[in-house]
Amino acid sequence: MANQPVLPSARRRTGEDHLPALLLGSVFVIATCGLIYELIAGTLASYLLGDSVTQFSTIIGAYLFSMGIGSWLSRFLDAPLLKWFIRLEILVGLVGGLSAPLLFVLFEYVTSFRLILYTLVGLTGILVGLEIPLLMRILENRFEFKELVSRVFTFDYIGALLASLIFPLVLVPQLGLIRTSLFFGALNVAVAGLLLYRFGETRPYRRGFTAVVGVALLVLAVGFAYAERIQVYTETMAFQDQVIYSKSTPYQRIVLTKNQRELRLFLNGNLQFSSADEYRYHEALVHPAMQALPHARRVLVLGGGDGLAVRELLKYPQLQQIRLVDLDAGMTQLFQHNEQLLALNQRSLLNPKVQVINGDAYRWVRADTTRYDLLVVDFPDPSNYSIGKLYSAAFYQELDHLLAPGGLMVVQSTSPYVARKSFWCISHTLQAAGFHTIPYHLYVPSFGEWGYVLAGRNGHWRGDAGPLPQGLRYITPQSIRQMLVFPPDMAELPTDINQLNNQALVRYFEEDWGPYTH
Amino acid sequence: MIKQDAPGAAAFSPGRRDFVARTALGAAGLLLSPALLDSCAPAASHAHIQGGMRGANFSVGHLLRDPTKLPAPSRTVQTDVLIIGGGVSGLAAKRWLARHGRREVLLVELEAAVGGNAAGGRNGVSAYPWGAHYLPVPDVRNRELLEFLQEAGTITGFAPDGLPIYSEYHLCHDPEERLLIHGHWQSGLVPELGVPAADREQISRFFGLIDELRQAQGADGRDAFAIPLDKSSADPRFRQLDALSFADYLDREGYTSPYLRWYLDYGCKDDYGATAARVSAWAGLHYFASRKGRAHNATHADVLTWPEGNGFLVEHLRRQAPDNIHSGQLAYDLRETPAGVSVLTYDVATRQTTRIEARQVLLATPYFVTRRLLAQVPDAPTLRPAPYHAPWVIANLTVDGLPQGPGQPLSWDNVQYGSAAVGYIDANHQDLGLQPGPRVMTYYCPLAHTDPDAARREAYQTSYEQWLQRILAELETAHPGITPRVQQAEVWVWGHGMVAPTPGYVWGGSRATARQPLRHKLFFAHTDLSGISLFEEAFYQGIRAATEMLLPA
Repeated sequence: MANQPVLPSARRRTGEDHLPALLLGSVFVIATCGLIYELIAGTLASYLLGDSVTQFSTIIGAYLFSMGIGSWLSRFLDAPLLKWFIRLEILVGLVGGLSAPLLFVLFEYVTSFRLILYTLVGLTGILVGLEIPLLMRILENRFEFKELVSRVFTFDYIGALLASLIFPLVLVPQLGLIRTSLFFGALNVAVAGLLLYRFGETRPYRRGFTAVVGVALLVLAVGFAYAERIQVYTETMAFQDQVIYSKSTPYQRIVLTKNQRELRLFLNGNLQFSSADEYRYHEALVHPAMQALPHARRVLVLGGGDGLAVRELLKYPQLQQIRLVDLDAGMTQLFQHNEQLLALNQRSLLNPKVQVINGDAYRWVRADTTRYDLLVVDFPDPSNYSIGKLYSAAFYQELDHLLAPGGLMVVQSTSPYVARKSFWCISHTLQAAGFHTIPYHLYVPSFGEWGYVLAGRNGHWRGDAGPLPQGLRYITPQSIRQMLVFPPDMAELPTDINQLNNQALVRYFEEDWGPYTH
Repeated sequence: MIKQDAPGAAAFSPGRRDFVARTALGAAGLLLSPALLDSCAPAASHAHIQGGMRGANFSVGHLLRDPTKLPAPSRTVQTDVLIIGGGVSGLAAKRWLARHGRREVLLVELEAAVGGNAAGGRNGVSAYPWGAHYLPVPDVRNRELLEFLQEAGTITGFAPDGLPIYSEYHLCHDPEERLLIHGHWQSGLVPELGVPAADREQISRFFGLIDELRQAQGADGRDAFAIPLDKSSADPRFRQLDALSFADYLDREGYTSPYLRWYLDYGCKDDYGATAARVSAWAGLHYFASRKGRAHNATHADVLTWPEGNGFLVEHLRRQAPDNIHSGQLAYDLRETPAGVSVLTYDVATRQTTRIEARQVLLATPYFVTRRLLAQVPDAPTLRPAPYHAPWVIANLTVDGLPQGPGQPLSWDNVQYGSAAVGYIDANHQDLGLQPGPRVMTYYCPLAHTDPDAARREAYQTSYEQWLQRILAELETAHPGITPRVQQAEVWVWGHGMVAPTPGYVWGGSRATARQPLRHKLFFAHTDLSGISLFEEAFYQGIRAATEMLLPA
């Protein structure tokens, strides 16, 4: 440090002239560290929870407030102050340093992640808040008050500036969040070690504290060495794009990622839609059926908790009631509250015509006595026996009871190109349940060729029956006609019927998709 | 992979989060209480499991051995018909009498609820069986049974080809069976995985034989193997198979593959509670060759099942003639009177005795009870050879997850190759929903390792903790780490499980004469009179006896 402080007091101890400088140097380091922890917490929270404005704002608020608590608490600490300060540095180093790896790992496993997050932020804030008051009291006899205040805060703010510049420009791109956090933890502990050796008065407890400092450094170093593994272990890193939301519900893990072009929703790591082309999927799901139902009043949507099919349905003003049954409240709530998703589904799930029910589709359907003009069946693919039941002839017979005269049902039916047998098995199962079926398909860039089966009690459906809403980007009478054509590589082939006591579909699906997943 | 997720599967596989939480709690526990470690290492591992012994009221039942201890009757009741025993045959008889106009029929049952071996239970998580838990799709010639199944809603109609259409909710859902063999869950129970070619050849030869026998008819034009078994052919070509043991027959015919023999032993234990060495060759083959059910939407290999097992069928039988069923009643001191029969019944709850005077009495009781009830009746029939009843232990375990090994996911019937038990049933298998959460698994183990009396004595001396330890030790080999996931375990010991068709029992003994009515006052219906303990047999025995009662004297 070029600017050696002038030591005006006669009361300073001999032989320790350079020590106040060391203490002021530590102000610089701890200020940097303190701000880094705050930035890490804010970044991590926006990264994992999304909505960066809220996250940063609340994290900074909580952190500053906790620092206030720390400052207030400092009055209860009495001599030996240096010993307290060294202790504090070790603690800040450990708590702050381990905060990022801890939060990453815990994110997957704890229900109330926010509680952990704010506890950690609060704890770090309190510890950091204790630092400066304590340091000022240590230095109070070595400087004049105005000198002391001026110097301590100068170093404090310079440290803050440094932290705020190197964090986004150097640390995050070069080291990553976990290593940055561990590195600055180690710096805090190093300050403790340095003070321990340079101050004579630490001799009585030097040996014990040295051991603690050693262990703390070792822990942080091991974390640093294994940072990559920790990062891999946290599945949020499995996504190419930035994760803006992720949550584990009792049913599934919901992850939302974002890049400059699109939002993507993953359930248990499987892509559900990309905002870039989901309109193709959802227009094709809804409009071929709806254009043929000019008098439709009531619609039941099964699955589809993202509200995107409902968004398409709401383009028909004649609909009076849309009931959506989705198993997972985590999904429907996300699509009722997250601003980016509300923009995508045009607040469809908040529309007064829409009733959202979180329940089990099979049970709901068996208990429901309403008649619907359209049933939109948008379940995940039949990849296991539990979901396979929702594609069974028995289930379709239950749905038949809910269909108003002249009503239609549309079923998302996986890819007729990749899973040709599965697709036709769904169509044949609907036929076995007594329906006339109209299979169709289209190309969705994110998914590939995708198929649907339209089913009714009679064969009266026409693709050019009624007017389509304004502003559709894919569906026109012409494209509906094209979607009905199945080239030879997707053409119909014989299959078994999917029954509860013989889930042929789950086996076909496994065979069809197997080569793509193993 | 697109548009996929697996809430159902994910729900039941232990979540990583959950695992970490448990591990963390466990680790914290270890750190906080190192002193506790030594004292409670093995015993405490299932201290968290709630439950206890349930089961047949053998302490009351054994009062029958010395009825002088019971109080004198405090009142007298008169009835046209008294049925003793509320198992399937008793209930089937009651239903039959009711639909033929007999109104004054009283039924007494020792247990707290009717059902016998087909009883079921229920907790907050699921209904579950305490015994018999399925019915193979029946032969369409069994008109009475089809009619009953239609009344129960199990048959929803008949297709134009005349074949019954079964409710898909009652047909066992896919996946039905899996076998843990060589560390992998294979589909189906016949060993396939890692089975050498020579063994496979024997297995396919055996099933070829079964296919032949399923079609086979005797010189009298009747099926070689039928259900009810009394409808089977009398042709000695088949009946002589009743004289030797199934094991001896298999040896003689060169069926020596350990894989095949394990499977056949499993089948005999599952249906008869005894090994292939203890049952007759006729009965061993009957188990496979008698299944010739047909349906519009199912095959002979399909079964009907319900969460509460055959408790579902019991409930429908009961509902069709629900009046005057008294449970918790021990019948004893049966005597003939000039007008009919007098029986004393001891009410387990009120500790009072009632005298019942009936014109006709149906003993729908197992032979070891019938024998004591008839102690004072002249010309009482005897059953020879004496029926062999192995004890069984059945446990219903409520688990909040099942550590899953490689291979086929959780199925309805889950069996471990080489195990003494006959596996466990997922009582929640017929659930339609995707809701994750705890499930009930019903574990079955016939105590067939030694003779029934010794096994029974041993069973009655085994404590709940000991059963639990044995059951969990076995389940741990299939599902390591299951113990902490078991929330509740109820254990039921059946002292006298079901009759086993030992050599000579079905065709060589006194079975046919033992069921003859006595002086048009005493009638008999029980699967002990068939020799195999199936719902169909009990149902048939009940209807047969009721028909005899309805005949004019």
